[in-house]
Amino acid sequence: MGATAPRAAAWFGWVLLACLLSGRAAAQDEPRGATATPGSRLTVAGDAAVSMAPDDDAYFNYSSDAYSVLRLVRLDASAVLRLGSRLSLLGDVRAQSAIGPGQWQVRPYALFARIRPWPRKAVDIQVGLIPPVFGAFSRSAYGNSNPLVGFPLGYQYLTSLRPDALPASADGLLAKRGQGWRVRYPVGNATPDHGVPLMDGLRYPLGVELHAGVRPVEASVAVTTGSLSTPDTRDVGKRPQISGRIAVRPTAGLVVGASASRGAFFARSLTASLAAPADNGTNDQRAIGFDAEYSRGYWIVRAESIVSSWRLSQLDLLLSDHPLRAFSLDMESRYRIRPGLYAAIRVDRLDFSEVCGSVSCLPWDAPIRRVEIGGGYSIRRNMVVKTAYQYNRREATVRRTSGLVSAQLVVWF
Amino acid sequence: MTRRLPLIAVAAAALVAFADLRAGGAGRAGRAGPAATGTISGRVDVRRAMVDAEPRPGVTNLGAGSAAHAHERRDAVVYIETAPQAAFEGGGTVSASMRQVNETFVPHVLAVRTGTVVDFPNDDTTYHNVFSLSKTKRFDLGRYAKGQSKAIRFDEPGIVRVFCDIHSHMSAFILVFAHRFFAVTDEQGRYRIDQVPPGTYTVAAWYEGAVRQSRPATVREDGGSADVDFAVR
Repeated sequence: MGATAPRAAAWFGWVLLACLLSGRAAAQDEPRGATATPGSRLTVAGDAAVSMAPDDDAYFNYSSDAYSVLRLVRLDASAVLRLGSRLSLLGDVRAQSAIGPGQWQVRPYALFARIRPWPRKAVDIQVGLIPPVFGAFSRSAYGNSNPLVGFPLGYQYLTSLRPDALPASADGLLAKRGQGWRVRYPVGNATPDHGVPLMDGLRYPLGVELHAGVRPVEASVAVTTGSLSTPDTRDVGKRPQISGRIAVRPTAGLVVGASASRGAFFARSLTASLAAPADNGTNDQRAIGFDAEYSRGYWIVRAESIVSSWRLSQLDLLLSDHPLRAFSLDMESRYRIRPGLYAAIRVDRLDFSEVCGSVSCLPWDAPIRRVEIGGGYSIRRNMVVKTAYQYNRREATVRRTSGLVSAQLVVWF
Repeated sequence: MTRRLPLIAVAAAALVAFADLRAGGAGRAGRAGPAATGTISGRVDVRRAMVDAEPRPGVTNLGAGSAAHAHERRDAVVYIETAPQAAFEGGGTVSASMRQVNETFVPHVLAVRTGTVVDFPNDDTTYHNVFSLSKTKRFDLGRYAKGQSKAIRFDEPGIVRVFCDIHSHMSAFILVFAHRFFAVTDEQGRYRIDQVPPGTYTVAAWYEGAVRQSRPATVREDGGSADVDFAVR
């Protein structure tokens, strides 16, 4: 545990104590929902989360924000302004900081117009900084939707792949296995930086989405910036990301979804420095995903899988086993033990395709296994304290395992 | 203010016991049985603008989601704070129902006696998960689908806040009384408490989580009606 940990623990304790006292003072005065103006023209809501854990010195929980998702403070405010039956403006501003020496980052998370051309039909067009249509977890990543403190590997774990830099050979890539939190390659941007997750669930792309639903089916198609791993990047040229999702609810409590996405991944600043491919060339990230959720009584069970591949024509010369592929699978369950108290578990794995170097063939990044088990207790309806133990194992030579105890306080209003 | 109800019930029981020891006042009137009873009635004029609870802004949703929820009818509850002992005797309503319709609890306010079993039928096409973290009654019915119902018995007097774990904008109140002298207002805000033994009482008007006003009311020895109006601002 680093030097900042005791201070963080003290801070967490004070916040928790304040919340407990406020909860006791107004036990019957539970919040009813979001705050709305008369006529519900403007509705505002927010949530705050404080997560703390020992220093993750093996970097299993570092995200594209360059710090651990188990050690951060996050404030989130969202609003919807209804401008008639056909048009709404929605926004979400997030401020977050790592516990310790981190600086506060404030940025709009989502900012878009929602157009419903036919008020009586479930057809919506969303334009702006919109939620990703791919997968399920990124739309339930709010503190009170996530039963645990950590994120699934596919949405958070930093692989050793970078959009703006490449190794000079297969050996160069294999040498960086399990070091995605800070990796440096000789081709392209030589500055050390973090790699990318399969899907960045912490950033929203800019674009247009069409959503339609006819029970029990709903479908969405989006044309946006970037790719799944880098949704907010603008350095990939004019080729958009095209993604879609179809979800079926055959019975109450069951949702089964399938997603697909294709978008340019490697940065122009990198591809411009490489020899031009013979043809138009390929530069993309392609992914498919499957997710399912079933809930009944006191149980919720979820499973989600992502298969992603990254292609760049110029890489054919470097890697005989091109494209690079990755596969994630997580299964999660929550059981409510008694009113306000639940237990949860998530089992997670992340695997990579093999690349042959001069000595041996290995997965191009180190496979990961993760188990997170924990629970939560509602102090009030809108105040949950969670704790979890997370065990990570990486098939690499350095920083192979990590066991982390984490705690999180979530308040929504 | 909302926490007054259980305290009031306890205090009322103590007062009744005290009155019984002295063999006088409302306690004796309640035991006399055949003595004439009266009615306390009136109107609660709600002038406070209340906004319906709204779903949280769905920025993570791919579309607008389900249809707009139903408008909640916010009734008031009027009750006698210090009830005669007879009020605590005998059984009242033994079952009641609070439905889930269009992502709204119907009724939004339910007043019952202790010992009442309340059913929570789900009339929506989506799941609901009714729960309460109130000290009076802490329960969680889990997720269940359309056409199904679960029930809870309320044995302690007090206020129970009811919510849905899936739809944050759904909320309701269940007021559990140890006695039978209470009434929920109708659409015009009118209420009527019948069979009240003669005596002088403090009548309270509760609205949306708090006792908004308390006023004295006297039921004459020959019965009759006492009119007590309230204004909630």
